[in-house]
Amino acid sequence: MSDAERLKTAKTDGNDWVSKIWGFLTSLKLVIILLLILSALSIAGTVIEQNKSLQEYYRIYQPGTVALCSNLGLFDMYHSWWFVACLSLLALNITACTIDRYRGIMAGMRKKDLILNEKLSKSLQNITTIRYALPLDVVENKMLERVGKGFSGKPVVTTAEDGIRHYFFEKGKFSRLAFFMTHLSILIIFLGAIAGSFFGYKGYVNIFEGEAVSQLETRTEKIQHLNFLVKCNTFHAEFYPSGAPMDYRSDLSIVQNGKEVLRKTIRVNDPLTFEGVTFYQSSYGALPDQVAIEVVNRDGLVKESVTTPFGKKVSISGVADTLEAVDYQEHFPLPDGTDGGQAISVNIYPAKGNPVGAWLLVDHSEYDQQRGGSYYFRVKDLKIKKYTGLQVNRDPGEILVWLGSILLIAGIMIAFFLSHKKLWISLRTDQKGKSELNIGGMANKNRDTFAREMEHIIQSLKEVS
Amino acid sequence: MTNSLLFGIATFVYFFAMVIYVSYLAFRSEALGKVASLSLLCGVVVETAAIGMRWYESYYMGIGRAPLTNLYESLVFFAWTIAVIYLVLEKKFKIRTVGAFVAPFPFLIMAYASLNPNDIQPLVPALKSNWLISHVVSCFIGYAAFAVSFGVSILYFFKVWHEMRSTKSAGFFWNSLPSSSALDEIGYKTIAIGFPLLTIGIVTGAFWANVAWGAYWSWDPKETWSLIVWLIYAAYLHARITRGWRGKRAAILSIIGFAATMFCYLGVNLILSGLHSYGGAS
Repeated sequence: MSDAERLKTAKTDGNDWVSKIWGFLTSLKLVIILLLILSALSIAGTVIEQNKSLQEYYRIYQPGTVALCSNLGLFDMYHSWWFVACLSLLALNITACTIDRYRGIMAGMRKKDLILNEKLSKSLQNITTIRYALPLDVVENKMLERVGKGFSGKPVVTTAEDGIRHYFFEKGKFSRLAFFMTHLSILIIFLGAIAGSFFGYKGYVNIFEGEAVSQLETRTEKIQHLNFLVKCNTFHAEFYPSGAPMDYRSDLSIVQNGKEVLRKTIRVNDPLTFEGVTFYQSSYGALPDQVAIEVVNRDGLVKESVTTPFGKKVSISGVADTLEAVDYQEHFPLPDGTDGGQAISVNIYPAKGNPVGAWLLVDHSEYDQQRGGSYYFRVKDLKIKKYTGLQVNRDPGEILVWLGSILLIAGIMIAFFLSHKKLWISLRTDQKGKSELNIGGMANKNRDTFAREMEHIIQSLKEVS
Repeated sequence: MTNSLLFGIATFVYFFAMVIYVSYLAFRSEALGKVASLSLLCGVVVETAAIGMRWYESYYMGIGRAPLTNLYESLVFFAWTIAVIYLVLEKKFKIRTVGAFVAPFPFLIMAYASLNPNDIQPLVPALKSNWLISHVVSCFIGYAAFAVSFGVSILYFFKVWHEMRSTKSAGFFWNSLPSSSALDEIGYKTIAIGFPLLTIGIVTGAFWANVAWGAYWSWDPKETWSLIVWLIYAAYLHARITRGWRGKRAAILSIIGFAATMFCYLGVNLILSGLHSYGGAS
């Protein structure tokens, strides 16, 4: 084998290889298999609960199963390499099909075959011939008037060499572009999702009433700084008499360079957006701020009282113990199962010996008596700080997602309900001196609807007199 | 409540319509057929009044919301959309004999709905949105179209099975059904109605989720299942339009698609956990 021959074989082999891959990428089989595989994988993702903590998985599954699923990415499968690979293959498939179909679609929109000749007549199913005793000009005028209504614009008129006049009508040419709309829209949505995950973040922040934050923690556990301060002025939760939630709302201010630049009360379904960052009402809660504790003797006399912030040890004059408020519960469960109401947990550090913990109940002031000793503690006053929980989201890809969605819906509507209709009419005077009209039509979709439309047109042409 | 009474009457009328449709299939009297269509239409009218009444009564109670927010309301609305879509198709394709296979759905769904609590509860904050109506209505018209396509596909199999078995001794009953190719075409046309609406339902849902929770897509089971349904019908449409899949294979995909639709609608709420809490024990 000479070098030239070898080169030639290699080249054809190469082409063969490329065309095989191209054939695979543009095949319908690939589309359908991908769509069904993606469905099947998605089902798996709804059966196995996603993104739970490992402890929860260990509670549900055997340790071996947990390790296996965790390694395969089954607990966060929508972000696993194999799921993303399937989506990438789908994107590649859509791209290839779009390129593959481009020429055909563009060719379909070009005006060609303007004359109802023999060749075209063969490809059209029903050619109808109508003869009139009227002069050709009259027939032409009435025909244009009756047919023109259903089709956009003026027809292309050609006069052939043999004196036959040809009219070409068309409508809905651009409906052929629906293919690009539906398929490119999916790619645009993917692009938007990718842009969002690379250049955006999702996070969460709690803000106490009257306080402001300038940073938050993202879902990937990074600290995200903001160019401004978000202040929570107030938070309110309202409930229906049944106890079901009615309204959560936070009065927020955006502060920049020491000035309030925006103020809005946000609710669920009504977030606040500033500089591309959106704050959503997501949760709420309360934490204790300050507590006033009384030391009471067995005889009921108040021995001493002290006010302390949470998490700080405080010594009490005349008492050996040091006190620290450490925890808070809004609904303390009493031993009999009933709700004990607000309660704080204190650590008591005696002068000698080990520290002990105790719960002090706001509504059950003698609860601490059960600990024994010559005195007990009770809560005189408890200040609670409410906070609002905000979901924070910055997503520069969002606009692409909506653009793609609108394009997708419009494309699907056009693809199903519009079609490219073509209509050919030729007029001539036959041997007997009568006017002869030939009509034929074609639509690229919804052919039975078009056939009915044609019947109407033909009927109205027959009625010309 | 007046709305409960009207829903009760509508259920009864749907039952009546179902009986008449079946009798029409058996006796093939044109008059009976007209009564069948008229009684189904009557059921739709009464149910429309019931839904309107329920909406009005919610304002009267000081709650004021569209009746589309819990399992009971979604079921009765589902029954309503199936009846409406079927009536439109019956008029368009002249398929009154199919009614015997579709008319039982509104009745059975209404009967099932009546087993669920039907008091008018106020809305939780997440549901207070202008997106509620467009999202729910488009999803349910989509579901209903798929339901009709499912009924037609089942009928298609009966018909094909019969056409294969005997061509000569075609019975009275079988001849009264549309031809298998007509059923195939109607099955496709209904999906062509349902698919765009499901797409609109998913997109409006994504938009709403983005406003309410700050994420347009979070792989919540309901979202995921709606995507699965969408993918199955997308596969159906691709196979049909570009490769000319017709008949049995198309009918099988349509049946699988509807099974997935039903799981998306009810199964997700009853079996899986997630953000759409209108069904199930919650």
